[in-house]
Amino acid sequence: MPQRQLLLRLQLLSNPVVLCGVRGVVSPIASALGFGEEDCRSITLAVDEALTNVIRHAYGGKLDRPIAIQFNKLKGADGESPGLEIVLSDRGPKPEPDAFEEKPAGELRSGGLGLHFMRQSMDTVVHSRVGSTNRLRMVKFIR
Amino acid sequence: MQISARRLENTTIFDVTGDIDLANSPAVRKALLAELREKKIPRVIMNLQGVKYIDSSGIASLVEGLKASRDVQARFILFGLSRSAREVLQLSRLLTLFEIYENEEQALSGEGV
Repeated sequence: MPQRQLLLRLQLLSNPVVLCGVRGVVSPIASALGFGEEDCRSITLAVDEALTNVIRHAYGGKLDRPIAIQFNKLKGADGESPGLEIVLSDRGPKPEPDAFEEKPAGELRSGGLGLHFMRQSMDTVVHSRVGSTNRLRMVKFIR
Repeated sequence: MQISARRLENTTIFDVTGDIDLANSPAVRKALLAELREKKIPRVIMNLQGVKYIDSSGIASLVEGLKASRDVQARFILFGLSRSAREVLQLSRLLTLFEIYENEEQALSGEGV
Protein backbone atom coordinates (compact mmCIF):
# COMPACT_ATOMS: atom_id res chain seq x y z
CA MET A 1 0.00 0.00 0.00
CA PRO A 2 1.35 3.47 -0.85
CA GLN A 3 2.12 5.80 2.02
CA ARG A 4 0.02 8.95 2.14
CA GLN A 5 0.66 12.40 3.46
CA LEU A 6 -2.30 14.71 3.84
CA LEU A 7 -1.62 18.00 2.07
CA LEU A 8 -4.96 19.79 2.16
CA ARG A 9 -8.55 19.13 3.12
CA LEU A 10 -11.34 21.42 1.89
CA GLN A 11 -14.98 21.52 2.99
CA LEU A 12 -17.17 23.11 0.34
CA LEU A 13 -20.77 23.78 -0.47
CA SER A 14 -22.18 22.57 -3.77
CA ASN A 15 -22.29 26.03 -5.31
CA PRO A 16 -20.65 26.42 -8.74
CA VAL A 17 -19.06 29.68 -7.62
CA VAL A 18 -16.57 27.64 -5.55
CA LEU A 19 -15.13 25.99 -8.67
CA CYS A 20 -12.91 28.93 -9.52
CA GLY A 21 -11.42 29.01 -6.03
CA VAL A 22 -10.73 25.27 -5.97
CA ARG A 23 -9.03 25.43 -9.37
CA GLY A 24 -6.81 28.10 -7.91
CA VAL A 25 -5.35 25.73 -5.32
CA VAL A 26 -4.98 22.57 -7.40
CA SER A 27 -2.28 23.65 -9.79
CA PRO A 28 0.09 25.04 -7.11
CA ILE A 29 -0.21 21.80 -5.11
CA ALA A 30 0.49 19.66 -8.17
CA SER A 31 3.36 21.89 -9.23
CA ALA A 32 4.92 21.72 -5.75
CA LEU A 33 4.87 17.91 -5.98
CA GLY A 34 6.82 18.03 -9.24
CA PHE A 35 4.15 17.80 -11.94
CA GLY A 36 4.81 19.70 -15.16
CA GLU A 37 2.56 22.46 -16.49
CA GLU A 38 0.50 20.20 -18.75
CA ASP A 39 -0.11 17.69 -15.95
CA CYS A 40 -1.07 20.54 -13.62
CA ARG A 41 -3.69 21.68 -16.14
CA SER A 42 -4.95 18.09 -16.52
CA ILE A 43 -5.28 17.58 -12.77
CA THR A 44 -7.07 20.91 -12.40
CA LEU A 45 -9.52 19.92 -15.14
CA ALA A 46 -10.17 16.53 -13.50
CA VAL A 47 -10.93 18.11 -10.11
CA ASP A 48 -13.18 20.73 -11.73
CA GLU A 49 -15.07 18.05 -13.66
CA ALA A 50 -15.44 15.84 -10.59
CA LEU A 51 -16.88 18.74 -8.59
CA THR A 52 -19.16 19.70 -11.48
CA ASN A 53 -20.49 16.13 -11.59
CA VAL A 54 -21.23 16.16 -7.87
CA ILE A 55 -23.01 19.52 -8.07
CA ARG A 56 -25.05 18.58 -11.13
CA HIS A 57 -25.76 14.90 -10.60
CA ALA A 58 -25.33 14.00 -6.92
CA TYR A 59 -27.02 17.16 -5.67
CA GLY A 60 -29.18 18.08 -8.68
CA GLY A 61 -27.99 21.68 -8.66
CA LYS A 62 -28.76 22.34 -4.97
CA LEU A 63 -26.32 24.97 -3.78
CA ASP A 64 -25.96 24.14 -0.09
CA ARG A 65 -24.92 20.50 0.07
CA PRO A 66 -21.58 19.38 1.55
CA ILE A 67 -18.57 18.30 -0.49
CA ALA A 68 -15.18 17.38 0.96
CA ILE A 69 -11.95 17.21 -1.02
CA GLN A 70 -8.72 15.79 0.29
CA PHE A 71 -5.35 16.07 -1.43
CA ASN A 72 -2.77 13.46 -0.41
CA LYS A 73 0.81 13.05 -1.49
CA LEU A 74 1.54 9.43 -2.42
CA LYS A 75 5.08 8.54 -1.50
CA GLY A 76 5.51 5.82 -4.07
CA ALA A 77 6.18 2.66 -2.08
CA ASP A 78 6.31 -0.84 -3.64
CA GLY A 79 7.91 0.31 -6.85
CA GLU A 80 5.13 2.79 -7.69
CA SER A 81 5.92 6.34 -8.72
CA PRO A 82 5.09 9.11 -6.26
CA GLY A 83 1.90 10.94 -7.07
CA LEU A 84 -1.10 12.95 -6.03
CA GLU A 85 -4.26 11.35 -4.68
CA ILE A 86 -7.47 13.39 -4.65
CA VAL A 87 -10.54 12.11 -2.84
CA LEU A 88 -13.95 13.78 -3.19
CA SER A 89 -16.79 12.87 -0.84
CA ASP A 90 -20.44 13.83 -1.10
CA ARG A 91 -23.68 12.84 0.60
CA GLY A 92 -25.79 12.54 -2.51
CA PRO A 93 -27.80 9.45 -3.44
CA LYS A 94 -26.16 6.35 -4.83
CA PRO A 95 -25.55 6.88 -8.55
CA GLU A 96 -27.38 4.83 -11.13
CA PRO A 97 -25.39 1.79 -12.32
CA ASP A 98 -24.74 3.39 -15.73
CA ALA A 99 -23.58 6.74 -14.30
CA PHE A 100 -19.92 5.85 -14.77
CA GLU A 101 -20.25 4.34 -18.23
CA GLU A 102 -18.30 6.56 -20.54
CA LYS A 103 -20.04 7.87 -23.63
CA PRO A 104 -17.96 8.08 -26.79
CA ALA A 105 -16.13 11.38 -27.21
CA GLY A 106 -16.09 13.17 -30.54
CA GLU A 107 -19.84 13.12 -31.00
CA LEU A 108 -21.82 16.33 -31.14
CA ARG A 109 -23.47 15.92 -27.76
CA SER A 110 -23.73 18.57 -25.08
CA GLY A 111 -23.32 16.17 -22.16
CA GLY A 112 -21.16 13.32 -20.89
CA LEU A 113 -17.76 14.89 -21.46
CA GLY A 114 -16.83 15.35 -17.81
CA LEU A 115 -16.16 11.69 -17.06
CA HIS A 116 -14.16 11.37 -20.28
CA PHE A 117 -12.01 14.36 -19.25
CA MET A 118 -11.42 12.91 -15.78
CA ARG A 119 -10.34 9.52 -17.16
CA GLN A 120 -8.13 11.09 -19.81
CA SER A 121 -6.50 13.39 -17.26
CA MET A 122 -5.83 10.98 -14.38
CA ASP A 123 -4.23 7.53 -14.04
CA THR A 124 -6.93 6.23 -11.71
CA VAL A 125 -10.58 7.27 -11.34
CA VAL A 126 -12.63 5.05 -9.03
CA HIS A 127 -16.03 5.65 -7.51
CA SER A 128 -17.21 3.81 -4.41
CA ARG A 129 -20.15 4.01 -2.06
CA VAL A 130 -19.20 3.95 1.62
CA GLY A 131 -22.29 3.96 3.85
CA SER A 132 -24.25 7.02 2.74
CA THR A 133 -21.24 8.72 1.16
CA ASN A 134 -20.10 8.74 -2.45
CA ARG A 135 -16.33 8.64 -2.68
CA LEU A 136 -14.39 9.42 -5.84
CA ARG A 137 -10.68 8.63 -5.73
CA MET A 138 -8.42 9.98 -8.44
CA VAL A 139 -4.68 9.45 -8.68
CA LYS A 140 -2.03 10.82 -10.99
CA PHE A 141 1.55 9.58 -10.80
CA ILE A 142 4.62 11.69 -11.45
CA ARG A 143 6.56 10.51 -14.48
CA MET B 1 -16.71 35.68 -16.68
CA GLN B 2 -18.00 38.52 -18.80
CA ILE B 3 -19.65 38.31 -22.19
CA SER B 4 -20.49 41.25 -24.41
CA ALA B 5 -21.76 41.49 -27.97
CA ARG B 6 -20.63 43.58 -30.91
CA ARG B 7 -23.12 43.66 -33.75
CA LEU B 8 -21.93 44.20 -37.29
CA GLU B 9 -23.86 43.69 -40.48
CA ASN B 10 -25.07 40.06 -40.50
CA THR B 11 -22.57 39.17 -37.79
CA THR B 12 -22.42 39.16 -34.00
CA ILE B 13 -19.09 38.93 -32.23
CA PHE B 14 -19.17 37.83 -28.61
CA ASP B 15 -16.17 38.95 -26.57
CA VAL B 16 -15.74 36.59 -23.64
CA THR B 17 -13.31 37.07 -20.77
CA GLY B 18 -12.65 34.90 -17.72
CA ASP B 19 -13.18 31.21 -17.08
CA ILE B 20 -16.12 29.33 -18.59
CA ASP B 21 -17.34 26.72 -16.13
CA LEU B 22 -20.56 25.46 -14.57
CA ALA B 23 -21.09 28.79 -12.81
CA ASN B 24 -21.42 30.76 -16.03
CA SER B 25 -21.71 28.43 -19.03
CA PRO B 26 -25.54 28.81 -18.96
CA ALA B 27 -25.05 32.52 -19.71
CA VAL B 28 -22.87 31.66 -22.73
CA ARG B 29 -25.43 29.15 -23.96
CA LYS B 30 -28.31 31.62 -23.51
CA ALA B 31 -26.47 34.37 -25.38
CA LEU B 32 -25.57 32.05 -28.27
CA LEU B 33 -29.04 30.58 -28.65
CA ALA B 34 -30.70 34.01 -28.54
CA GLU B 35 -28.47 35.22 -31.35
CA LEU B 36 -28.79 32.14 -33.51
CA ARG B 37 -32.31 30.87 -32.91
CA GLU B 38 -34.24 34.01 -32.00
CA LYS B 39 -32.46 36.80 -33.87
CA LYS B 40 -31.44 34.53 -36.75
CA ILE B 41 -28.04 36.17 -37.10
CA PRO B 42 -26.33 34.43 -40.03
CA ARG B 43 -22.82 34.50 -38.53
CA VAL B 44 -21.90 34.33 -34.85
CA ILE B 45 -18.27 34.63 -33.81
CA MET B 46 -16.86 33.86 -30.36
CA ASN B 47 -13.77 35.82 -29.34
CA LEU B 48 -12.13 33.53 -26.77
CA GLN B 49 -8.84 35.43 -26.45
CA GLY B 50 -9.70 36.37 -22.88
CA VAL B 51 -10.72 32.84 -21.84
CA LYS B 52 -7.94 31.05 -19.99
CA TYR B 53 -9.99 28.09 -18.85
CA ILE B 54 -12.98 26.16 -20.18
CA ASP B 55 -14.47 22.94 -18.84
CA SER B 56 -16.95 20.38 -20.15
CA SER B 57 -19.93 22.60 -19.35
CA GLY B 58 -18.34 25.39 -21.40
CA ILE B 59 -17.64 22.98 -24.26
CA ALA B 60 -21.27 21.84 -24.01
CA SER B 61 -22.42 25.43 -24.47
CA LEU B 62 -20.26 25.78 -27.58
CA VAL B 63 -21.68 22.49 -28.88
CA GLU B 64 -25.19 23.86 -28.34
CA GLY B 65 -24.20 26.92 -30.35
CA LEU B 66 -22.77 24.78 -33.13
CA LYS B 67 -25.89 22.60 -33.27
CA ALA B 68 -28.15 25.66 -33.33
CA SER B 69 -26.08 27.20 -36.12
CA ARG B 70 -26.46 24.03 -38.21
CA ASP B 71 -30.20 23.99 -37.57
CA VAL B 72 -30.63 27.54 -38.88
CA GLN B 73 -27.90 27.35 -41.57
CA ALA B 74 -25.79 29.97 -39.85
CA ARG B 75 -22.03 30.01 -39.30
CA PHE B 76 -20.57 29.60 -35.83
CA ILE B 77 -16.93 30.58 -35.55
CA LEU B 78 -14.36 30.56 -32.74
CA PHE B 79 -11.12 32.49 -32.58
CA GLY B 80 -8.35 33.24 -30.11
CA LEU B 81 -8.29 29.90 -28.29
CA SER B 82 -5.80 29.74 -25.43
CA ARG B 83 -3.53 26.74 -25.11
CA SER B 84 -5.68 25.43 -22.28
CA ALA B 85 -8.96 25.87 -24.21
CA ARG B 86 -7.45 24.17 -27.26
CA GLU B 87 -6.24 21.25 -25.13
CA VAL B 88 -9.71 20.75 -23.68
CA LEU B 89 -11.34 20.87 -27.13
CA GLN B 90 -8.77 18.36 -28.36
CA LEU B 91 -9.51 16.12 -25.40
CA SER B 92 -13.20 16.26 -26.30
CA ARG B 93 -12.27 15.18 -29.87
CA LEU B 94 -14.54 17.96 -31.13
CA LEU B 95 -11.82 20.34 -32.27
CA THR B 96 -12.23 19.54 -35.95
CA LEU B 97 -15.99 20.06 -35.87
CA PHE B 98 -15.62 23.76 -35.12
CA GLU B 99 -14.59 26.51 -37.52
CA ILE B 100 -11.60 28.01 -35.72
CA TYR B 101 -9.28 30.91 -36.57
CA GLU B 102 -6.34 32.51 -34.87
CA ASN B 103 -7.62 36.09 -34.76
CA GLU B 104 -10.59 38.32 -35.50
CA GLU B 105 -9.39 39.43 -38.90
CA GLN B 106 -9.18 35.85 -40.11
CA ALA B 107 -12.49 34.98 -38.47
CA LEU B 108 -14.21 37.83 -40.32
CA SER B 109 -12.59 37.07 -43.65
CA GLY B 110 -13.04 33.32 -43.20
CA GLU B 111 -9.46 32.68 -44.17
CA GLY B 112 -6.83 31.00 -42.01
CA VAL B 113 -3.08 31.15 -42.34
